[in-house]
Amino acid sequence: MGCLAFKKETFRDDYTYRNSPEAIHRFPFPFPEDKYMYSVNIEPHVSIKPGSVFEFPFDIDEHYVAECQDKAITLAKDPGRYAVLPHMMDAQWDVLELIMESLSRDYPDQFKLTKDGNRWTWHNLPLGIQDTFTFGDRSTMAMDPFEYIGRQTQGDFVLLDQREGTLFADAGCITSQADWSLAFDVGMSWHQWHAPVPRATEIGVMDRALKFMMNLQLGSPVRRLNWTMTINPRLDTSPENYPQWGTDRNTVTPENAGDKIHLRVELQTLFRLPRSNGIVFSIRCYLISLNELATYPRWAKRFHRILRELHPDLIEYKGLTKFHQIAVDWLARFDDGAALEIGTQPE
Amino acid sequence: MSTLNVRVAAIEQVTPLVKHFTLMREDGQHFPTFSGGSHVVVAMDINGRTHRNAYSLMGSPDDTEAYHISVRRQEHSRGGSVFMHDNVVEGSQLQITMPVNLFSLSKMGRKHILIAGGIGITPFMSQLHDIQRNGYNYELHYAFRSLEHGAFSDQLKARCGNHAHIYVDRLGQKLDLRELLGSQPLGTHVYVCGPSSMVTAVLETARELGWPENHIHSEQFTAPPMGDAFTVQLAKSKTEITVPNDITLLEALETAGVNPDSLCRGGACGRCELDVLELDGEIFHHDHYLSDAEKASNRKIMPCVSRARCTHMLLDI
Amino acid sequence: MERGYRIRSKPNYETLMWREKASAQVVVAKGAGGLAVLQLFQQMYPTQPVTVFYVRGNGSDTDHSATLARVVGDAIKLFDSETDALYAFYRSLPDFRMGTRFYVSGTESFMWSLCKLAKLFDIQESEIMMELSNSLARPVYCVHCKGTTPDVTTNIATCSKCSRKLFVRDHFSRHLGAYMGLMVDAENPGEVPEIEEIYP
Repeated sequence: MGCLAFKKETFRDDYTYRNSPEAIHRFPFPFPEDKYMYSVNIEPHVSIKPGSVFEFPFDIDEHYVAECQDKAITLAKDPGRYAVLPHMMDAQWDVLELIMESLSRDYPDQFKLTKDGNRWTWHNLPLGIQDTFTFGDRSTMAMDPFEYIGRQTQGDFVLLDQREGTLFADAGCITSQADWSLAFDVGMSWHQWHAPVPRATEIGVMDRALKFMMNLQLGSPVRRLNWTMTINPRLDTSPENYPQWGTDRNTVTPENAGDKIHLRVELQTLFRLPRSNGIVFSIRCYLISLNELATYPRWAKRFHRILRELHPDLIEYKGLTKFHQIAVDWLARFDDGAALEIGTQPE
Repeated sequence: MSTLNVRVAAIEQVTPLVKHFTLMREDGQHFPTFSGGSHVVVAMDINGRTHRNAYSLMGSPDDTEAYHISVRRQEHSRGGSVFMHDNVVEGSQLQITMPVNLFSLSKMGRKHILIAGGIGITPFMSQLHDIQRNGYNYELHYAFRSLEHGAFSDQLKARCGNHAHIYVDRLGQKLDLRELLGSQPLGTHVYVCGPSSMVTAVLETARELGWPENHIHSEQFTAPPMGDAFTVQLAKSKTEITVPNDITLLEALETAGVNPDSLCRGGACGRCELDVLELDGEIFHHDHYLSDAEKASNRKIMPCVSRARCTHMLLDI
Repeated sequence: MERGYRIRSKPNYETLMWREKASAQVVVAKGAGGLAVLQLFQQMYPTQPVTVFYVRGNGSDTDHSATLARVVGDAIKLFDSETDALYAFYRSLPDFRMGTRFYVSGTESFMWSLCKLAKLFDIQESEIMMELSNSLARPVYCVHCKGTTPDVTTNIATCSKCSRKLFVRDHFSRHLGAYMGLMVDAENPGEVPEIEEIYP
């Protein structure tokens, strides 16, 4: 990945975010079949396909620098997007270690970590950061270790504490969420936190997922994909700023749908943390416009069927009501009705 | 499940019945850090049969060069501990799982009472590192039979100073649980590991005094009990297997090439849970995982420790 | 945005009942919540030492202090302000041992303020029995301006801090002690559904 070129682009105001042809090709399209049902669909987070978003534990792509800048803006405007309860300090160091070791191993031209005993030096070349600190000693850092590394990694992070037979979301660095509020949810147990997911609790999905996560093993991370849709390539679709982006949903027309409507895919990964016995839940967001998606007609055809058959509860829950029909109509031109082989590949 | 190949670097006879094993990685790499109270499952090849036992990690979680476990010789068990004592020597190769923690400290706690009986001291050896590193308020209460059986007691006295309280049964020293648990400030957690009589006494005393469940922690790995042979039918594999008297249902499934997920193999973690579709007899539940209602329903079984008396049991695997 | 599915984060409140296995009993109530305490004492007088902290009702909040003082006797501590009662409760916690059982009754915001203090002593909400007093009025947290509006009785409320019209969700945050309020007309400014009283 020595050739990673980072784009200058924005995720707000003039929305200059675009995907290069390479980024489109590696987009984690989440629909192997024509019908979507909410499920746990968890698989081991092991490296597959060089160049894919699944190659490394933490994916760094062409949007890295712009995304970190957008994150900094969001955190500056609302410091409440970062929250941590006091008993999570071990977990903070755990996640800092996990990410620094992964990035410096997987992207050696961009990130360097040198250790002299507990004295660590971290060098982030794309963001021009170099710092030396004592691992385990909070006073040697300018900010919390979790916030420090959270600001330098694409995606959102939640730290979970395992106790009382469940998991508690006791820390988070959340700047690109799809409709949930860290300030409101911090400290909640697994079931309280997932309470608003429709149809999921009824079929016991959340209970099974919790059982699975409680048994998550060190060294065996897992992943799943989740999805929704966003108008404009906006990372910060938080409830906090709903008044700012809510009206965007009224601006979609059949003419601008290809540009404005984005499929938003979350690569969710879970890692057991060693010292704290906690879990880090990473939620990495990938955005692609319908125009970009339709570069590969196979994806457009599949997505057409998914949206057409989507359960009304999910249409409402995912906030698609206002533009769902426009998207279905826009995608219809790619669907000749012929059977489509199972799989998420673009071609 | 990810496993690590290890070599026994050193063996120390700690008491007449307890040996301490120092393990290092075959590939020369470091072990992962872990959290106090974690255990690993050690796989041993005994006469062509793979035998797995869980042992607590005793060393400092920050020592990634070596892992430390201690094994008490259990004469009347299925042979894992005897094998560790008699057949494993310095240089022997073993396979271990990554650390798993089913007995972690509550980070919200304001005080921690650790109660150990005999070899039950081992999970606390690593927990004490976390406790001392974080500066938690704590007391250690360690009971054992006689002076020669007090594994690591001198080391613990030196490490813990007046936080350590030792009770030697042979000298008539007894731990008064009611007195201890009846006088703790709010926010205290109690942790117990030891023989089942001790675990039961701590759980019952704490509940009787009104301690809420989430402040009471115990760890007890059940050595899988033996029993009569029985036969089970497997719905998905469309086959039938017989479970002999001296191996577990889980081991019998593995021997037959059916590999359910498993983790602690001691009825604690819940990973190997199987659905029972049909049953014409009774299940002997030996696990600490299923609720009483689930046990009574006869719809679930933990094959690592539980057995059955039946002519027909259809499992969903 | 999602609107009103059946939600598990909404707390389930109970009817106060003595827990028999206990080393001490601590009861805290405010105003109308005193009735739950009177009912508690009708069950039987517990064998363990009892302490009652009670905030006298005023205005529309019924006052049960006279009856309570008679029933409870010396074990009652009476307060005129919620803050004083909560502070006295918090100051007393170091005197109690493990095995102390906790009971609280009053408005939602009162009960969760108490839980927050108790949590500082690692007393988790599962360890506190809670009975909601007669009003279902909700404290509503505005997710946009982070202000909390107390005693909301309607499906849609006006935020007391930023004046936005908020849809009151069933999603409840223990650490804020409030329900989530989300701007109801963010997508269609000015389109506010009919306001109904549903949390009397």
